[in-house]
Amino acid sequence: MPFREINAKMVEAHVQPGQRLFSQRGAMIAYKGDVRFTPNMQGGQGGLTSMIGRRVANEATPLMTVEGQGTVMFGHGGHHVEVIELDGDTLCVEADRLLAFDGTLEQGTLFLGSDGGVMGMVRGQVTGQGLFTTTLKGRGAVAVMAHGGIIQLPVTPDRPVHVDPQAYVAHHGDVRNKLSTALGWRDMVGRGSGEGFQLELSGNGAVFVQASEEKL
Amino acid sequence: MSTAPRVLDVTTLPSTDNVDPYTFCVELNGQWFLQKGKMIAYYGQIDFSGVGHGHLDGLVAGSFHSPLHAADWVVAQGSGKMLLADRAFDVNSYDLEDGNLTVRSGNLLAFEPSLSLKQSIVPGFLTLIGTGKFVAASNGAVHFVEPPVRVDPQALVGWADCPSPCHHYDHGYLKGVLGGIRALTGIGGASGEEHQFEFVGAGTVLIQSSETLMAEQATGAVPHEAGVPGGGQGGQRGGQQTPQLPGQLGGLQRRFGL
Repeated sequence: MPFREINAKMVEAHVQPGQRLFSQRGAMIAYKGDVRFTPNMQGGQGGLTSMIGRRVANEATPLMTVEGQGTVMFGHGGHHVEVIELDGDTLCVEADRLLAFDGTLEQGTLFLGSDGGVMGMVRGQVTGQGLFTTTLKGRGAVAVMAHGGIIQLPVTPDRPVHVDPQAYVAHHGDVRNKLSTALGWRDMVGRGSGEGFQLELSGNGAVFVQASEEKL
Repeated sequence: MSTAPRVLDVTTLPSTDNVDPYTFCVELNGQWFLQKGKMIAYYGQIDFSGVGHGHLDGLVAGSFHSPLHAADWVVAQGSGKMLLADRAFDVNSYDLEDGNLTVRSGNLLAFEPSLSLKQSIVPGFLTLIGTGKFVAASNGAVHFVEPPVRVDPQALVGWADCPSPCHHYDHGYLKGVLGGIRALTGIGGASGEEHQFEFVGAGTVLIQSSETLMAEQATGAVPHEAGVPGGGQGGQRGGQQTPQLPGQLGGLQRRFGL
């Protein structure tokens, strides 16, 4: 496991030769040993097409490649950091929430419209995800940032979870999400509860929620 | 999981310890130095007087050696319990035992007069020398590392026992063919980690969990003297400090105000 949580806001990663990490640019706090930081033009893995894909999808957060031998500490903006272990499944997360992740993970972009059609796009707008989101797949660890602490809620087939779209951070596993609206005439006249939109997650997996409704 | 907020009074408040990660309680019985505006509440009889006024001269002469910095500090005098906090940043106390610790000036909240405060040679930092307790804030919890280590300049809180701080520039990624293209065209951007503070030698380095800087406090100016870092520049300008490039007019240029 490459990441170790030092405290709620900082993680430590061990880098070994032949193994690389990706991290958000400028998120290094300190390092020991011989470690190199190379700006990553493609914003992650894949070739030129992936890069163009990410640019178009607006999921091109400036990343850097971390290589060498040593220990690196990451932290960013005083945000809380949570390490999520992936064991062959897929994590959906916004690119700008990624603090650092294993180079072995396969990175991709997902069009939200393909998962729920028009409603998927509306959901993207409401959650601030936009029309696309980043996926990470494989075995490895991801350090994800959130405003306030992160809690993990399990999603089981008989127990769907409803989440405030603004507090949604990421989800993994075989989870379908759909936006459920509880809009009534009160919302139309501006007297709504402020909870008109909810994200309903069902399936088998887990969803990560932050203890705040503030976006990064 | 506690449901109701804890109610504390003068007897249940901790004595010279953290109340929660963001608040520190000082049991005052005598004098403490604190930075202006960091006291949030107190019990008991405490006077706050500016540094450098009359009856405190002796105290200031003994433990406050940063004269131009004095306007930012007050002396709390009396007995009682005093709560310190700073914009909900994490607050911690540190014990020094016949030691020294250099800390970013904006991070220091308060210290015991048994310590003496001096301006560090490194601009923007203050050094505490002696035996006693002081309180410092940080953005996220403080993490201690042993040199050799390289630290992001914004994440550095301070260092103890004098490891040697110096600048480290890393442009390794500008080497090679791809690096050359990157350097020439700027395509690919910078990693944002070209510059670090490097610490070598014996000691401890304190880093905070975020590279978001806490607002810096002016540490006061240093005397304009040759050989004083940051001080010698103001007075004697000119000189042959910058190497002459061919094509520049040099002295003539300056003379004609070009």
